[in-house]
Amino acid sequence: MVVVILIFLLSSFLGVPPVAIAEEYTFDVSEIEKKPYHIGGYAELRPALSGLDKDASLYKLRFYNRDEGSTLEEYNAALRLEGSLEKGIARLFVRTNTDYKNSYLGEDIKTTVYEGFLSLKPSSSLTIDIGKKTLKWGKGYAWNPVAFVDRPKDPDEPEQNLEGFIVASVDYIKSFQGPLKTVSFTPVLVPVYEHVNDSFGRIDHVNVAARIYALYYDTDIDFMLLVGGSKPARYGVDFSRNITTNFEIHGEFAFIKDYEKKIMGGGGDLVEKEYDTASYLAGIRYLTEKDTTYIIEYYKNGTGFTETEMTDYLSFIDNGYNAYVISGSDTLLKKALNVTSGNYGKPNPARNYVYLRASRKDPFDILYFTPSITWICNVDDRSFSLSPEFLYTGIKNLDLRLRTSVLRGAKSSEYGQKQNDYKVELRARYYF
Amino acid sequence: MKIFIAMIALLFAIPAYAVDGTAFLKQVDRNLNPESYESYRKLINVEPDGRKKEYTLFTVKKGVDKVASVFLAPASEKGRSTLRLGDNMWFYIPNVGKPIRITSLQSVVGGVFNNADILQLDYAAEYNVEKMERNGNEYLLYLKAKTKTVAYDRLKLHAEGKKQLPVKIECLTEANMLIKTIYFKDVKDFGGGIVRPSVIETDSPLYKGYKSVMIFAKVKAKDFKDEAFTLTFMPNLESLR
Repeated sequence: MVVVILIFLLSSFLGVPPVAIAEEYTFDVSEIEKKPYHIGGYAELRPALSGLDKDASLYKLRFYNRDEGSTLEEYNAALRLEGSLEKGIARLFVRTNTDYKNSYLGEDIKTTVYEGFLSLKPSSSLTIDIGKKTLKWGKGYAWNPVAFVDRPKDPDEPEQNLEGFIVASVDYIKSFQGPLKTVSFTPVLVPVYEHVNDSFGRIDHVNVAARIYALYYDTDIDFMLLVGGSKPARYGVDFSRNITTNFEIHGEFAFIKDYEKKIMGGGGDLVEKEYDTASYLAGIRYLTEKDTTYIIEYYKNGTGFTETEMTDYLSFIDNGYNAYVISGSDTLLKKALNVTSGNYGKPNPARNYVYLRASRKDPFDILYFTPSITWICNVDDRSFSLSPEFLYTGIKNLDLRLRTSVLRGAKSSEYGQKQNDYKVELRARYYF
Repeated sequence: MKIFIAMIALLFAIPAYAVDGTAFLKQVDRNLNPESYESYRKLINVEPDGRKKEYTLFTVKKGVDKVASVFLAPASEKGRSTLRLGDNMWFYIPNVGKPIRITSLQSVVGGVFNNADILQLDYAAEYNVEKMERNGNEYLLYLKAKTKTVAYDRLKLHAEGKKQLPVKIECLTEANMLIKTIYFKDVKDFGGGIVRPSVIETDSPLYKGYKSVMIFAKVKAKDFKDEAFTLTFMPNLESLR
């Protein structure tokens, strides 16, 4: 109810008065004139309040030498700029992101070029792209184990743009009559050198990735691979298909050869383990008669940590914290911090997860209002995050979203040991 | 005996209606659009209190089962595109970056129009004519979906006989429950021999007080390569303008 009142007040404040229904509709052709350039993007404000869990291992790891009270306030803002220029068969596209954060750590501002590439389109069958771009392979909503050339997405915000890698890629498309309707082939070169894609993997390698897509008997099917040395070689397949007008199924499977993992034992010993593994995902999307969409996915993360490995890591942090309290030495905690970033600290570092999202469009006769709830559960330790959300898009070019996340789990469980107990975030995003 | 002869005559009469009806329906399709064409559309959702939200789309269609649209406005939707190949539908959001499968009953714009309305194929491609009635210059076609994957199980298509253009379509469930009514208005000459309604309105007993309107501009016969109607091409649809 509070949200509905808030939305009403905001829409009134922003000057969106009811417009009398005109029976005459006009469509000014100048609105659709094509220009050779485009500039757009959005500006966003995102204040957030987090409730800290002072007994949690990850709280101890980050706040062992400071007391920030029981809640944390954050004031975030972002500016996303997109521009394109087209001439003949060539198109230049740039997308930048500037993040501003004001938190207990002070102010921070960072601008990143998310994408910036030249696209050549000699025909509708052939596209050649050179530059920084995201490829976004896979059919999963929350996770994509076959997205071999992308940064991992955050299942809490799966629709957020990601920063790309510098690549050279080709898309060749061929259409057919009959059960095989479309085939496309996408070879990709990913150079990795110092200052060029150095976060992708080992430097001084030129990696080759490729994807073959087919639409066969109304089913989307992709086969993909990545080889080249910067990362262990991997091979994947995915599919997606509508079973009925309101029911879709999808899945992904990735096989990774000689995957290398750094594991921290309870005593702090760091072990490197190499093994062949597979990650996979199975999911459905179902729309009910009352316009509620359910997305359910199961994700097996073969590169993730087992329950015992997670417990050892969290126990090591607790031991490190106890040592700090007794002796004032933070050596062990710093050691734990080193293996957290990009390893245990990744989104969803464990083995088995379930994702459930239910969203209802326009309930209570409120058009453009979409309440939803998202549940992400670590199946192994039964810990979870539960995130109710209210989204209103009824004001032209303005999205308003209120989101709360509650984290629950036993001691030594993934979500039980996160630094927050809850987080409340309001996001106002204006597109231009 | 007379009854028997009458029944036999009736049995033959029904297919005769169906053949005429099918030809009539195919002509209605051709009068609405060339088989392959491009067009611009403005979609307006009108709420009971008069508030409006507008979307502008560029749409291309080829043959009986290929149609694609890209949003040109508002800024929050720009670059989003939809593709339909027969019963398959996808939605591409530049932020998400990859096309996701959607269903015909959902709506990518909200309001009364669903995805099947926005990515409409030829009626004759999706429906069989069960019966055709004539009342003066108006024809009423009773249409039945060819498969279970079609958004509406039954349609009652009211058409103007001389121009062979639809005036009103009632969309019904299998149990004959009215889902929505689509009104075709303001017949306009778009050039190139295309004379068709330039405004389509819809309302629904399921969304009392709400109304959605589709306005057409620059409807033009144009041929496109099949490759333009593929998932891989979705991010580039605007280049067809």
